[in-house]
Amino acid sequence: MNHSSPFGITRRNLLLGSAGLAGSAVLTGCVGAGAGPAAQPSTGTGGGTPAEVAREVVLQSNMQDAGPRQALADVIGGVSDFDVTINTVATSQFRAQLPTYLTSNQAPDVLTWYAGSVTNSFAEEGLLYDVSELWESGNASGFSDALKDLSTYDGRQYFVPTNYYWWALFHRTSSFEEWGVSAVETWDEFMGLLDNLQTRGVAPLTTGLANNAWMAAAWFDYLDLRVNGADFHRELLAGQHSFNSDEVRAVMARYAEILPYFHPDSLSWDPQQAAAPIARNEAAMYLVGTFATAYWPEDQQSDLDFFSVPTIDPSIPSAEEAPTDGFMVAANARNPEGGKAVADYLASAAAQQEFIEKAVSPNLPTHPDVDTAGFSPLIQKGLELLNGTDQITQFFNRDSNDELQGTADTALMRFINAPGDVDVILADWQTAAEQVFSQ
Amino acid sequence: MSTSAPPATAAAPGEGRRPRRSRLGRRVPPVVWFFLLVPLAVELFWVFWPALNSFWLSTTTWGGVGVAEPVGTANYERLLADPIFRTALWNNVLWVFGFGGLSVVGGLALAVALNQPRRFVGVYRTVIFLPMVISMAVTGLFWRIVYAPGGPVNNTLELVGLGHLQQQWLANPDTALGAVLVAAVWRQVGYIMVLYLAGLKGCDPSLEEAAAVDGANAWQRFWRVVMPQLAGVNTVIFAITVIDSLRTFDIVWVMTRGGPFNQSQLLSTYMFEQAFSYVNLGYASAIAVVIFALAILFIITYVARQARAEEDDL
Amino acid sequence: MTALSHAGRRRRGLGGTLAFHTILTVVCLLWISPIAFVVLLSLRTFDDIALNGLGAFPTSFTFAAFPEAFRSGGVGRGLWNSLIVTFFVVTLTLALASMAAFALSRYRIPFRRTILMLMLAGNLLPPQILLIPVARIAQGMGIYDTLTAVIVVQIGFGLGFYTFVLYGFMRGLPKEVFEAALLDRCGPVQTYWRIVLPLCRPSLAALAALATTWVFNDLLWALTTLQSEAKFPITAALLNLQGAYASSWNLLAAASLMAAVPPALVFFAFQKQFVSGLLVGANK
Repeated sequence: MNHSSPFGITRRNLLLGSAGLAGSAVLTGCVGAGAGPAAQPSTGTGGGTPAEVAREVVLQSNMQDAGPRQALADVIGGVSDFDVTINTVATSQFRAQLPTYLTSNQAPDVLTWYAGSVTNSFAEEGLLYDVSELWESGNASGFSDALKDLSTYDGRQYFVPTNYYWWALFHRTSSFEEWGVSAVETWDEFMGLLDNLQTRGVAPLTTGLANNAWMAAAWFDYLDLRVNGADFHRELLAGQHSFNSDEVRAVMARYAEILPYFHPDSLSWDPQQAAAPIARNEAAMYLVGTFATAYWPEDQQSDLDFFSVPTIDPSIPSAEEAPTDGFMVAANARNPEGGKAVADYLASAAAQQEFIEKAVSPNLPTHPDVDTAGFSPLIQKGLELLNGTDQITQFFNRDSNDELQGTADTALMRFINAPGDVDVILADWQTAAEQVFSQ
Repeated sequence: MSTSAPPATAAAPGEGRRPRRSRLGRRVPPVVWFFLLVPLAVELFWVFWPALNSFWLSTTTWGGVGVAEPVGTANYERLLADPIFRTALWNNVLWVFGFGGLSVVGGLALAVALNQPRRFVGVYRTVIFLPMVISMAVTGLFWRIVYAPGGPVNNTLELVGLGHLQQQWLANPDTALGAVLVAAVWRQVGYIMVLYLAGLKGCDPSLEEAAAVDGANAWQRFWRVVMPQLAGVNTVIFAITVIDSLRTFDIVWVMTRGGPFNQSQLLSTYMFEQAFSYVNLGYASAIAVVIFALAILFIITYVARQARAEEDDL
Repeated sequence: MTALSHAGRRRRGLGGTLAFHTILTVVCLLWISPIAFVVLLSLRTFDDIALNGLGAFPTSFTFAAFPEAFRSGGVGRGLWNSLIVTFFVVTLTLALASMAAFALSRYRIPFRRTILMLMLAGNLLPPQILLIPVARIAQGMGIYDTLTAVIVVQIGFGLGFYTFVLYGFMRGLPKEVFEAALLDRCGPVQTYWRIVLPLCRPSLAALAALATTWVFNDLLWALTTLQSEAKFPITAALLNLQGAYASSWNLLAAASLMAAVPPALVFFAFQKQFVSGLLVGANK
């Protein structure tokens, strides 16, 4: 090697030196080494150390859909003690950013999220602010025990549920009248209804499985609830039963029975597109959550109705899926007390009532004092459905985790593609699930 | 390792200009070091530091919060046994050739065709570039409509008497990857075309004229006169194509998300799913390292050889 | 010179011209069809789409989606943020990358090939995997949740690639120009500024057009380094318009068209440079 100038060598050494510096800095770790700088409590940004609760509160929200988004903004507009800034981030990105938000030394004060395993894992890491006080003396003190269980980690509460919604078989009243059919309660009646509709040239069922097959899990959940019951379902999703068991095989047998009744294009539709054939009277029913009401045109909103997935085994206690949404407060927030106060406000009966009235999609309140008399007939019926059921679950991913949901999407789509391969599909599903649980 | 050919030996055969050239290149003025080191420092800090973090994360299990748990090579062992990873890897190999090959051929053909002073070429160029400015969300929607049952592709097949070929292109595990590939090439072609157009501007038209005078036809002129002048651009485009093939993400994500049941999964989409849907950052980092290694394999061997060949020609 | 060089080529017959335009018209129709689709979609009402489906021909016609999209979801603010970020990222990245490429391509810097490969190697890792470390670094530096963070991160990430591309183009510049510069006793700065940059105009313009579309369409880096919606780029606003469950596709289409205007204009402005720009060969 022949470097023409000693100058160059010095520079090169400098260069190597700085690279080495970067390397050693990495060894100390900038990620994965705990909460990092954010672990230290931030000492008052922008001047004043907060002896009393600061006025600025940042609300990080994943309510990107127009209706709920506007409703939240309106409800927050009623907060007078705090200046609340809402940052709306699309759900898919929100999930990815949550670890960054919560570990930041300028974490948002209060964040939308849903109850379940993810929230608990954040609580376990000490990233969530204890909101037990709201459950003792705040607006959450009157919430049901089931909701309190859902919000509790290690004896303390880290979550404030403010609303939930339900899943059911949605259809249009006028279409059912036109075809001379009505809602059914037993499986045999249901199969009869599917046959009846199909002979009329109507696709009995639709769903949207394109792009992201998570909708396929809705039928799996409900059939498992109807065949094996909610207790088995929860245990299955917690890894206590095998997906390769006879119980799950029985569920898949029911799934196979209804497969021929789906509109074949369901494979190419996203969840929203699946509503259009029902709007045009070309298809009849869609097992979906209430968020889907936003899929139908304005003039069909009052025409929408639903009924529960029919009973298969009368000896199994009834159960419905009702995912719960709410708020959590970041431990690293600049103003956690302010965040807590805003969460408390959002949990109040008045705030919940306003939110439900303004959000376009039907939601149910968690506060027992909300006056439901003024809500739409659809919401009234939803309340009735959930009040009358024995057990409540959320949804596949919320009752387990997103990664197990991924194994379900894969297995169920393979099944829908080739129902005859059920044995090998369930065996593979169990292998994949074991991998998830082993982490 | 010899990066600079020692001027003293003057080993390079018969180039009379060598003394002059080495005088230009030999002494490196301080300001040139400044030119190089500022960008290099920025990149080292914002890319290499986080990249080293990711390499380190690939030997851990980490859910985005708390302390990453070192697991040694467990993530890599898991990759070997992971059927989805194997599918994604194989798809990606097909993708490098299919996506890379088609977009380079298409882009080059369009660039050559549109490098002429004809009517409307500016309009044509703009139209072919335009898809790149439309947001990925609506692009994905457009392609889902194109491939939908009753969509343009199926209707066209019906029209030309190939009705039996109609299918749900993106929902069929056998056709999903190919269908996405067409959309990806469609988007990439404009980009390759732009780079080739810029490269063609550097070609010396007098050489082509001379060849034309010598009776070479258009095809011969292109391969014997124009292509050699595009060598530098070709290297660039080769590198870009390999990088993009291994990093293609958006178009797959908006069209199929790797489905149905992972049959159109690429390494980058699988990595994204692991990293951001499941927050398995350790495992996702291991996939990223594989992508990195593949890119190195494809590029460094080729580009380094290219660069060495040019080395004596400073 | 241009005219002369083309006059030297063989004249094409009418048939050739016709074939050329026929083929390119078909190609262009294929390439423009998504834009036609988006335009049609943006002019439909939500209820029309909900009833007849996305792929159906419009049965409604309204411009209402444009003002509505602009008002909701911070489209206007997002456009402004994106313009600021894009301007600084594209200008600074190309400036720095052309400096590095000039140094590497024209001077015998020790290990220059290795350095070039190293800079390129920085772009071989999928960017998604760097997001979380980058967010932590930005937090550590105290620039998290600022546009500065979005800008410097994207400069850092683009540099290796642009340097590599410009290096390729600069190697292709005729040596005689540099020899002339040396004889004229031009220093490196003058050589760079007066000779290399003008000669690289086609490639710089091409890269600027491409970089603008990439930076303008970036979503990941922005959402990684930003937390406040007031600073979000247009892409984040588009994503919010899309909805988690229900998408107002007509609004999204309208907003996408508005978002497409700036990069399209930039391409239009720059294409002159790399198409009818300086002919290197003509300088001899």
